[in-house]
Amino acid sequence: MNIVFTVIYLLAALIVVTGFYIQSNKYLRSMVMTQAFQSFLIALIAILLGIELKQYTFFILAVLVILLRSFLVTYFLAAKIPKNKNYLYESKLPTTYYLLVDLAFIVVSIFIVYSISFIHIVSRIFPESNIILFPMLLFFQGLFIIASRRRTIAQILGYIEEENSLILMGTFILPVPIIIESSVFLDVLILVVIFSIISIEKTEHKPVEELRG
Amino acid sequence: MIYEILILIIPLIAMGFYKNIKITSIIAAIIEMFLLIPLYFNLSDSGFFFIDHITYIFILMVSSIYLMSLIYSRKYIHNVKNKGISENVYYMLMGFFYVAMEFALMVNNYGFMWVGIETTTISSALLLITEKSDISLEATWRYIIIVSAGVTFAFISVILIYYAFGTLTVTVILSKGIKDSLAVRLAVGIALVGFGTKVGVFPVHTWLPDAHSEAPAPVSAMFSGVLLPVALYVLYRIYEIYPMREVFVWAGTISVLFAAIFLGYQKNYKRMFAYSTMENMNIALIGLSTFTFAGLVGSLLLLLSHSFGKAGAFYSSGNVYEMSGTKSIDGVGGLIRNKASAASMLLSSFAVTGTPPFGTFFGEFLILYSVLSIHFYAQFGIIVLSLFLAFVSINFNVSKMLFRGKSEYSQSGINTAIPLIAAIISVFIGIVFLVVYHEIL
Repeated sequence: MNIVFTVIYLLAALIVVTGFYIQSNKYLRSMVMTQAFQSFLIALIAILLGIELKQYTFFILAVLVILLRSFLVTYFLAAKIPKNKNYLYESKLPTTYYLLVDLAFIVVSIFIVYSISFIHIVSRIFPESNIILFPMLLFFQGLFIIASRRRTIAQILGYIEEENSLILMGTFILPVPIIIESSVFLDVLILVVIFSIISIEKTEHKPVEELRG
Repeated sequence: MIYEILILIIPLIAMGFYKNIKITSIIAAIIEMFLLIPLYFNLSDSGFFFIDHITYIFILMVSSIYLMSLIYSRKYIHNVKNKGISENVYYMLMGFFYVAMEFALMVNNYGFMWVGIETTTISSALLLITEKSDISLEATWRYIIIVSAGVTFAFISVILIYYAFGTLTVTVILSKGIKDSLAVRLAVGIALVGFGTKVGVFPVHTWLPDAHSEAPAPVSAMFSGVLLPVALYVLYRIYEIYPMREVFVWAGTISVLFAAIFLGYQKNYKRMFAYSTMENMNIALIGLSTFTFAGLVGSLLLLLSHSFGKAGAFYSSGNVYEMSGTKSIDGVGGLIRNKASAASMLLSSFAVTGTPPFGTFFGEFLILYSVLSIHFYAQFGIIVLSLFLAFVSINFNVSKMLFRGKSEYSQSGINTAIPLIAAIISVFIGIVFLVVYHEIL
């Protein structure tokens, strides 16, 4: 494995670490910024792959990720975090407990899903590796954040993390045509805008009696 | 190709006349209906669009229910007191929602189909807060987060299809015939969970009753009547690559059973109709999954007839809500005194529960026949039991709303006629099928 691919491996691992950091964090602004950093790391991987494989589509992907995820999505989310201190963080959140449950959830999910099925999906870019594990880890982390958090913005971040994992998975397995990738990015951007419209009036989500059953 | 482009562009042009969007949207929807005639004679089987006879039935469904919903919306949305979005924005979003569905149906690429389905979520999300309340905001949120998370999962399926075939063009992939590989099997299985979220497959159906019960009546009609079938269409196109009969038929059967159980204890009539949609969509899924001719015809007939019947049921629900101010089944009584509303509610509930001679009855009959023809006897038994439970639950509750109590309701005008027309179309579809295609039975 050459040096570039080793760096890509390390970056992919770092992306998973950012996922754990978001999960264990109570402070919403810090979570949003970590998401921006996570997206930037994905863009960095795309740039490295573009250089190594000499494919210009990776550069377009990197530009899209930086522009739409690291800047625009971050801007929309950060702008919606109220100045009031009570809204800046989730106060009664058992983060250590969540982190442990998250780890258990991910280990079990990955063991079941990867070992049974995805182990046979060979990466076209890293044929001799199990690099697909990293986006899968990120995917389950995103799902766990959506399920475990009550704050609107925290749930949006879980969703974006899921989307990030798919970009990474597509990049590692076989990148889909850039026109489709671009449409996906725009869709997600509009969804985040809608999220932020709703989050103006609904900052937290609890079970509602009228919506039971 | 020109007709497909016109179908996508005309509603967008109508939005350009923003101040008069109420009128221009309806005019555009009428033009769309006329465009379906030349489209039928110019179906496309290659290039950017792919429209065969199956797709055409879905396009017909979407265009018809869109037109009816727009006409119904004129008075209904105008009368909404606490609007979350303005009337003009409502019509604009309805237009985008319609175009997104047509795009998902017509496009000849699995990737763009995914984009189309995701766009339907984007365009329809804010429609849910037309009747603004804390509950509708929560329902909107659940709709966005659950459906988006589910449909995101479906993108893995798109990646795997591309991995297996090196292309995402539907016609190219389907022309290669059934291909068995682990990537393809995974793609089809993941699509069941991913797109199944939007179809209402158990246990990823949870957004469905919330969104349907809190959306305004014409939007609920669009959701039930056409949005879920569009998602089912995309799922079917992926299923065609490698039919996993056992998995899909079992998934549908379990979903139908749970829908029937949930129907047993509903107190809100809109939630009740939402679970009925879940039941009908999964029966259609079973029919398509049998991969037999009878199953396919039965599913298309069920979906077509159900779209009108369920739209009628939701328009009727809207009328009842306007008159009574409650969505509770027990809060409504003596509806029989308003003949037109009572007739439309009763006919719609018959339509969605598969009562003869509605098209849904013949559709369900063919689907059950197809299940038997592939020797899935256990599934057959569960489906029949579930259909019976659903039939009793819905019609019992509707009877309570009609005949119990002595409340006086009064309403007249076009919004009373529309649900009646929709329900009658559902009967008409059944009768036409019986006359024209009786030999298939």
